[in-house]
Amino acid sequence: MSELQAVDANISTAAPADDLEAPPKSLWRQLEPTVLGVGSIVALLALWEALPYLVTFAPGTKLFFTTPSQIAGTLWTMFATGTIWAPLSVSASGFALGLGLAIVVGLPLGVLIGRSPTLNAMLDPFITAFNATPRLVFLPLVLLWFGLGLWSKVVIVFIGALFPLLINTYEGVRNSDKLLINVVRSFGAKEWDIARLVVVPNAMPYIVAGLRLAIGRAVLGVVVAEFFGSEDGLGVMMVQAAGQYKVAVVFAGLIVFAGLSLVMTGLVQLLEQRLTRWRPQHAAEY
Amino acid sequence: MPAYIQGRNVNLTFRPPNRGPVRALYGFDIDVNEGEFLSIVGPSGCGKSTFLNVLLGLIRPDSGDLRMHGKPIAGPGTDRAMVFQEFGLLPWRSVQHNIELGLELKGVPTETRHNVSQHFIEMVGLSGFEGHFPHELSGGMKQRVGLARALATDPDVLLMDEPFAALDAQTRDLMQVELLRIWQEARKTVLFVTHQIDEAIYLSDRVMVMTKRPGHAKKIFPIELPRPRDYEMRVTPEFNDLKLEIWHALKDEITI
Amino acid sequence: MTDQTLPNPAVPADDAVTRETFVERYRKPLLGALAVLLFFIAWQAVFLVVPFNALFISKPNLIFSGLAELVVSGELWADLAVSAVPFLYGFTAAVVVGVTIGIVMGWRVRVGYALDPLMTVFYASPLVALAPLLIVFFGVGVSGKAIIIFLLSIFPFIFNAYAGVRAVDRLLINVVRSLGGKEKDLYLKVIVPSVLPYIVAGARIAVGRGLIGVLVGEFFAASEGIGYAIAKFGDLFALDKMFACILSVMIIAVVLTEGIRWAERSAFPWRVGQ
Ligand SMILES: Nc1ncnc2c1ncn2[C@@H]1O[C@H](COP(=O)(O)OP(=O)(O)O)[C@@H](O)[C@H]1O
Ligand SMILES: [Mg+2]
Repeated sequence: MSELQAVDANISTAAPADDLEAPPKSLWRQLEPTVLGVGSIVALLALWEALPYLVTFAPGTKLFFTTPSQIAGTLWTMFATGTIWAPLSVSASGFALGLGLAIVVGLPLGVLIGRSPTLNAMLDPFITAFNATPRLVFLPLVLLWFGLGLWSKVVIVFIGALFPLLINTYEGVRNSDKLLINVVRSFGAKEWDIARLVVVPNAMPYIVAGLRLAIGRAVLGVVVAEFFGSEDGLGVMMVQAAGQYKVAVVFAGLIVFAGLSLVMTGLVQLLEQRLTRWRPQHAAEY
Repeated sequence: MPAYIQGRNVNLTFRPPNRGPVRALYGFDIDVNEGEFLSIVGPSGCGKSTFLNVLLGLIRPDSGDLRMHGKPIAGPGTDRAMVFQEFGLLPWRSVQHNIELGLELKGVPTETRHNVSQHFIEMVGLSGFEGHFPHELSGGMKQRVGLARALATDPDVLLMDEPFAALDAQTRDLMQVELLRIWQEARKTVLFVTHQIDEAIYLSDRVMVMTKRPGHAKKIFPIELPRPRDYEMRVTPEFNDLKLEIWHALKDEITI
Repeated sequence: MTDQTLPNPAVPADDAVTRETFVERYRKPLLGALAVLLFFIAWQAVFLVVPFNALFISKPNLIFSGLAELVVSGELWADLAVSAVPFLYGFTAAVVVGVTIGIVMGWRVRVGYALDPLMTVFYASPLVALAPLLIVFFGVGVSGKAIIIFLLSIFPFIFNAYAGVRAVDRLLINVVRSLGGKEKDLYLKVIVPSVLPYIVAGARIAVGRGLIGVLVGEFFAASEGIGYAIAKFGDLFALDKMFACILSVMIIAVVLTEGIRWAERSAFPWRVGQ
């Protein structure tokens, strides 16, 4: 044996446990974004509330002024007396039907276009044109065809929500991993299996992003469709309120619509979390 | 008698949109014996992966004759399975469900599927990791999953496209030993593409050197080192002579 | 057994393989054009079978002659011009204010913290719902519409400028500094080129939202403008002219968004694929 001897390094200090805690940040640095973010919203609301005490409005302007407390009061009354439920359910059903239809049509169509170059080439001009055009332009036509009421609203919501879903699904499908497609093909997968096993799971993040966009468009669709083409619903309530200078009601309606879109987005987020448990969690960063 | 896998004058040209055509295989001939371990080495881009994909049935050649068991290759089949360089694991499936992929597509019932995957999980030494997702595994473990997945459908031929290229040197050495053990146990015909001449010699019965693109066989070296082979064999003079010969055949083809 | 050297066939060059033909090469645009053509032909042809009711639908030939009529009489231009004025005001204000807010939010970390949630709340709420109020308050003229357009189109500028500034590579700033760059060079060589693509991408989104503003404003109460024209022709059951106006809005929207997309591609070629 040579002079050089392998030395077994004897490391007696205990190895650190895996669940070592992240080094603490200073408390302020952790809280700063939240404090500033919430603070600015609170400050804005406070300023708004205080505005009538700070400046005097011209009589004409005063008619259009409301305060957060009045809006909150109005909202409270609407929910407490239950007057909100009738218009809200009208709006919500238009929203749900239109969005549901957009999902049912948009997802499969997006997958088809993503997988078939011919179909893609043929539909591309139409998709580009309709996506660039604000779909509101079809509102008078839709009203003519479907009349006032639920179905024209559904159609407007549908064409509004369809394109973000369709286009995002398509992008997701186009970006699916060629290697994974080859893997499943090598095991004898047919087009349907490829879509089921690789393409759709792969496109999920895109689809979810598309769904988020679609929710925004759907809410917008409900609002506008009701402004111009409905006899009841939250939008109608808001237009009438604006005409009668019940400004607080207009804002209350806005908040309910925003709430609707937040709730839906929250649901999508839950769905996303359920569907993407396989993805790596990001380790804490500094 | 025709060889177990026999290719004659296989030609394939890629025609990428908006660019000039690329000839990947030209006049490609190959003969593989049953149960043989054949390695293919050749310069990058010479068409090695292309050939494996043709044999796997993913790409149809423009012309030529490629048969296995005397039957022409017509699309993918369960008698062939590939182990991919970049693993190709479905990230949203656990180890077990990745391994069961081929069986699932074959329509094997859940019960059987589970037993088979359990067997191969043990064979590749991944017991206890059944429920892990690919991102929770190291490179070596991922490739074990890839290997188990390929073996699970019980193919006659195993195609391996630079399977260990993405692994570090030590893991690679261990995986080679494992592979030889599994090969001896399962008795498959193996086509193994690699860039490492060492690896090719250590594993194979024969080593085929390919020309630069458009690729075809240039020279075939029988490796008559005794089996079972051990790690020390890699420093014997015979081994090094072979390595040098193969390197000479290969180096003329390499352009940078 | 000895090594086996195999014959080396002479290999023809890649180019010896037939190149793709014109049709192969332009397959996509050709198929697209064909599909559009087929669409119009089918639309026209359908009424050979189905009875045609001019009160509910129109046909391509009528639409195109309606369009020609509107163009020749100058009605279309007049309406478009009326709509363009508030659009220009609102959009320009959105660019200036939005980009400024976004840049300050990105540059001053605390401002970013403070405004990010607030802006997100605004962006998430359907601000178009305030349109009736704004119209009642500001009237049906230019200012009401311009304010709706401003409100709808400002957020893409804010968020994109914000993202753009945050995406500026600090390393590049240090590189330019270390090469002796002055403050001016930092702006010209690093910051503007990094942020500009984001702003232009924001503009592409904002255009669509701005057009929504135009239409909402004009559907409500207006006596001129392209949105008004569409509603009016609908009320009059002049479906050919209504379709003609819709078609012209579609063309304008496509030209604007695809134009910006084209500008993005040619001005920032390094961003292709991002
Ligand atoms: N799908 C494809 N489209 C166009 N060219 C391809 C395609 N796949 C491979 N090629 C080209 O064919 C040649 C052979 O590729 P490949 O078989 O992957 O080489 P390697 O021997 O390194 O595995 C390369 O020049 C490669 O660029
Ligand atoms: Mg390769």
